[in-house]
Amino acid sequence: MNPCTEVFIVPYKILEKKEIAMRNIWYKIHAPHVAKKVKPGQFVIVRAFKNGERIPLTPVMWDPEQGWVVLITFIRGKTTARMAAELKEGDELLNVAGPLGNPAEMKKFGKILAIGAYTGIVEVYPIAKAWQELGNEVTTLHVTFEPMVVLKDELEEAVGRHVLETVPIDPNLDFPTNMKNVTKRLVEKVREMLEQEKYDLVFMVGPTGDQKAVFEVVKEFGVPMKADLHPIMVDGTGMCGACRVTVGGEVKFACIDGPEFDAYKVAWDELIARSGYYTDMEQRAMQEYMKALEGGE
Amino acid sequence: MARPKLIKERVPTPERPVEERIKSFVEVNLGYDFASAVKEAERCIQCPPEYAPCIKGCPVHINIPGFLKALRENADNPDEAVKNALRVIWNDNTLPAVTGRVCPQEEQCEAPCVMGKVGDPINIGKLERFVADYAREKGIDEELLGEFIAETDGKGKVAVVGAGPAGLTCALELAKLGYKVTIFEALHEAGGVLMYGIPEFRLPKEVLKTELDKLEKLGVEVKTNYIVGKTVTVEELLQEYDAVFIGTGAGTPKLLNIPGILLDRIYSANEFLTRVNLMKAYLFPEYDTPIAVGKKVIVIGAGNTAMDAARSALRLGAEVTIAYRRGREDMTARIEEIAHAEEEGVKFEFFLTPVEFLGENGKVKAVKFMKMRPLEERDSRGKRKIEPTGEYVTLEADTVIIAIGLEPNRILVEASGFEANPDGTLVVDENLMTSIPGVFAGGDAVRGEATVILAMGDGKKAAKAIDEYIKSRKANA
Repeated sequence: MNPCTEVFIVPYKILEKKEIAMRNIWYKIHAPHVAKKVKPGQFVIVRAFKNGERIPLTPVMWDPEQGWVVLITFIRGKTTARMAAELKEGDELLNVAGPLGNPAEMKKFGKILAIGAYTGIVEVYPIAKAWQELGNEVTTLHVTFEPMVVLKDELEEAVGRHVLETVPIDPNLDFPTNMKNVTKRLVEKVREMLEQEKYDLVFMVGPTGDQKAVFEVVKEFGVPMKADLHPIMVDGTGMCGACRVTVGGEVKFACIDGPEFDAYKVAWDELIARSGYYTDMEQRAMQEYMKALEGGE
Repeated sequence: MARPKLIKERVPTPERPVEERIKSFVEVNLGYDFASAVKEAERCIQCPPEYAPCIKGCPVHINIPGFLKALRENADNPDEAVKNALRVIWNDNTLPAVTGRVCPQEEQCEAPCVMGKVGDPINIGKLERFVADYAREKGIDEELLGEFIAETDGKGKVAVVGAGPAGLTCALELAKLGYKVTIFEALHEAGGVLMYGIPEFRLPKEVLKTELDKLEKLGVEVKTNYIVGKTVTVEELLQEYDAVFIGTGAGTPKLLNIPGILLDRIYSANEFLTRVNLMKAYLFPEYDTPIAVGKKVIVIGAGNTAMDAARSALRLGAEVTIAYRRGREDMTARIEEIAHAEEEGVKFEFFLTPVEFLGENGKVKAVKFMKMRPLEERDSRGKRKIEPTGEYVTLEADTVIIAIGLEPNRILVEASGFEANPDGTLVVDENLMTSIPGVFAGGDAVRGEATVILAMGDGKKAAKAIDEYIKSRKANA
C-alpha cells in the first residue's frame, strides 16, 4: 500500500490524552497532513463533535515522520469542557484543518523576552524554541495560577532561561478577581525584567487585556513587541472576517494576515471589546452543558 | 396536423404559507408532483435541439426539450418517465436538484423560451428539480448511476481544489470520463457556497447531501480540512496528479471601509450565513456555534446573498431592513427571492449608502446613510448611475449584516505564484488553463463573484479541456 494512503486510514485519532495541570488537557493527535507542514506560529481549526463548533488551537509539538501533533487546551467553556469530559484515547476528532495562519517571523532578533500568560505559554513554546535554535537568546516568562503550570521542564530545556511566576488562587475570590492578580503580577514582573536587562524583542501570548497591559509597559521602554492575537474565528481561512482587527489603521483578518502582529500597531481597545461578543451565549452553552452532565449522572 | 394548442399560463408550484415558513428554515417552495409536472412539460412546443433557445440559455446546455419529452412520453409510468428524463439531464448536469432550485432561470434557460413570447416561459427550473427530487425519493437515481460509472484504469489522476459548484461539476464530469479524481476542500463539509452560503429554506442540506453522495459512488475521493496553499501546495499536487483544477471561488467578503466597521454585531454576510447554514447556529444551544441577532437588523446590499441573510435573520426573530444604494429595479437578486423576502416582511430602503456605523458600549446601534439619487446615465452593466445628495438619514439597528460582495481568497494565489488580475481573479486562457501548465481554473476564482450555474459551466468546460490535455500528454509521452 502507498504509505501516503496508510496515514489517512485513521484520521485525527487521539493517541494520548492527559490532564497536565488544572484545567489544562494534553492531546496527542494523529494528523499527518498538519504535522508535515506546520511551522511555529501556525494554528489549526478543530471540530470535535457532530453538532460542535470550530475552535482555533495551536500545535505545541509535532513529528512530521510519525504524523502527530500535540494540542493543549485550557478548559474555558463548553467545547473545551466537553472535549475534556467526553473524549478518550482512541477516539477521533472529527476535523483538524490546517496548518493555518502565517508562521512566526524566524530570524535573529538578539535577546528575546517571550511571555505566556496562563495556557498562552503553550503557544509561546514552539516559537521560543525555534528562535533559540536559530541563535537568539530567548528568555521565556510564564505567569499563571499555581496549579496551572505547564511545560516547565520542556521550556527549561528549550530556551536560555525560563522564568516561572505563579499566583495562588484565592478561594474567597471569584475567578475574574483572581485573574486581576495574575495581570498585576505579570505587569510587575515584565517591568522588573525590562529594568534589569535590555531586550531586542518582546513577544506575548495571553488574554487580550493582559497583552494590552504588558504592551503599555513595554512601550515605556521602547522595545519592539509582537503579539499573537486571539479574535473570534469561524473558518480560519479568510472567508468571513469574524477575526478582523485594526492594525496600523487598516482592517486585517488575523487568520490569514496574522495571528502575529506588531503590538504597536494593534487597536487594543477595539479588540478587547470584540472578544466579549458572545460572552452571554458562551455562558449559556456552558451552563446547559453542566446541567445536562449533572442530569445524566 | 393541427397546430399545437398553446397553453399560455404555467402550472403553479405550491409554497408554504408565509406565517408558517418564517418560523423555521424549512424549504419554502414545495415543487411539482408528477401530474402537474407532466402538465407543465406538455406546454413545451419542443423546439428542435439544434435550435432550442432554452438549451443555448443554459450554461451547461442541458437538452431541455429532450428531458421534457421523456417526462410526457411516459405519462402513465412515472418511474420510467423520470428515469429517462434524469438520464438526459445527467448527460450534461449531475447536480439537477441544486440547479433546479438555485439557478436564476429567468435570466438563463427560461429567458429565451419561445413560450415566453406568448405567455409564461416553461417552468424549466422547477421541472428539473421535480425530476431530481422524484428520482431521489424513489431511489431511481441510484439505479441510473450505474450507467455513468466509468472504467478508471490508467486514464489519469486529477486533483480538484475546492468542493463548490465548479469543483464538484469538474470532478463529476471527469469521473464520468474515467479519471481518478480527488477533491481537496478547506472546510469540514463539501459543497462550498451550496453548503455554507445558501440557506436551507432555498436548498435543503439533505437534498444537497444526497447530490453529494454521487461523488463517492462515481469514485471521487473528497479530502476535507485540506487548505491548498497551506496543507499542501499546488506544486506538490502536480507531482502526484496529471492535472489540477482550481475551483476555490470568491469567498473573501468585501467590508465597508467606513468608521465603526469593527463594532460588535456587524457581520459579513459570509460569517452570518456560515454560522447559520454550515454550523446550524439557529439551533443553538443544541448546536454549539452561537449567533447574536438583535431585534432590528439592517442588511446592506441587494444581491442573493443579501436576501439570504435578510430572510435568515427574519427567521431568527428579528425585524429586518435591506438598505441598498440604488433603486428597486437595480437589485441583482433573483426576482423570486426578492418576492419571497417581501412576502415574509423584509423591508426595503433604496438609494441609501452607508457612511458610518454608530455604536454604544462597543456595539452597533445605528447606521448613518447618505441619501443618493438616480441619474439618467447608465453604467457598463446597464444600471442607472447614482450621485450623493448631501442629505443624511440615520436608521437604528442592533445588528448589521454586510452583503456588498466577495472577492477571491488570497491564500492560494499567494502561495503558488499564479498570474492573477488586480482583483485577485486567476488569469486563464481559452481552455481555462492558468499560467501554470496543467493547472486549470474556473468559477468565481476566475470570474469574481458570479452564479452557481456559471461556475458549473466552467467546471464542465475545464473537465473537457483537462481530458484533452491529459490525452495529448499521454500520446506524446
